[in-house]
Amino acid sequence: MKVKHRNLYLYLTLACFVGIILIFIFDGYMGVYDSLDIASGEFPQTIEPDRWPEDEKYPYYSTVNVQQGGIIAFTYEVQNRTFSAYSADVEVTVSHEQEQVAVLLSQPVKVGSFDKGQLDWTLDTTEFIPAGFTSDQRYDLSVLIKRGDVERNVIIYIRGDSYPPKPEIIEPRPSN
Amino acid sequence: MKLEYVLYGFGILFCIAGVGYLAAEYVKYLSDIGKIGSLLLTVGLFAFLGKYFEGLGW
Repeated sequence: MKVKHRNLYLYLTLACFVGIILIFIFDGYMGVYDSLDIASGEFPQTIEPDRWPEDEKYPYYSTVNVQQGGIIAFTYEVQNRTFSAYSADVEVTVSHEQEQVAVLLSQPVKVGSFDKGQLDWTLDTTEFIPAGFTSDQRYDLSVLIKRGDVERNVIIYIRGDSYPPKPEIIEPRPSN
Repeated sequence: MKLEYVLYGFGILFCIAGVGYLAAEYVKYLSDIGKIGSLLLTVGLFAFLGKYFEGLGW
């Protein structure tokens, strides 16, 4: 009887361990995840699924610096780690100072079970720079990706060719 | 003989440290409910393991 009782605790220990592993698999791995590849100039970057929560905590965390006239290529990947197919409408808009300027993409994404879906688009900065923009200025844009209820935001900093402006050099005082 | 036990001890410690590190990294992907569930199960795991060793006479 005592031996049975002792083994009961061992089985309960194993049950807890199996429970933890199941939570890790179903809560941590399963789900729909999205990542964004941004290729611009010499600094391509990937925003991995685990970085989006940081964006919600610290707005404007994901930023891209691009030279005036540069073209930014975006690749948005949706990973469906569920047992059913996933579909949602994706809309990508560009805004400046909270005002929508353009719609870059509007199309549905359909991803099979345990599969990946991909959307590509480009942003040509010359189309968004206003008239009167000088080369020592900076112009900011916001790219908003809406996938169903999920929103992702990336800030684009467009730098003029001579931005930041060089500081004036102050001549040293003549020594007496 | 004693040296073997010291080496076993190191091995067990490294295993626990490695699994602990991986778990700490992976916990970032869990929801709040998942984190609480994992915490409760971890507490239960060590409690039952303690009772098991107690039964063995440790």
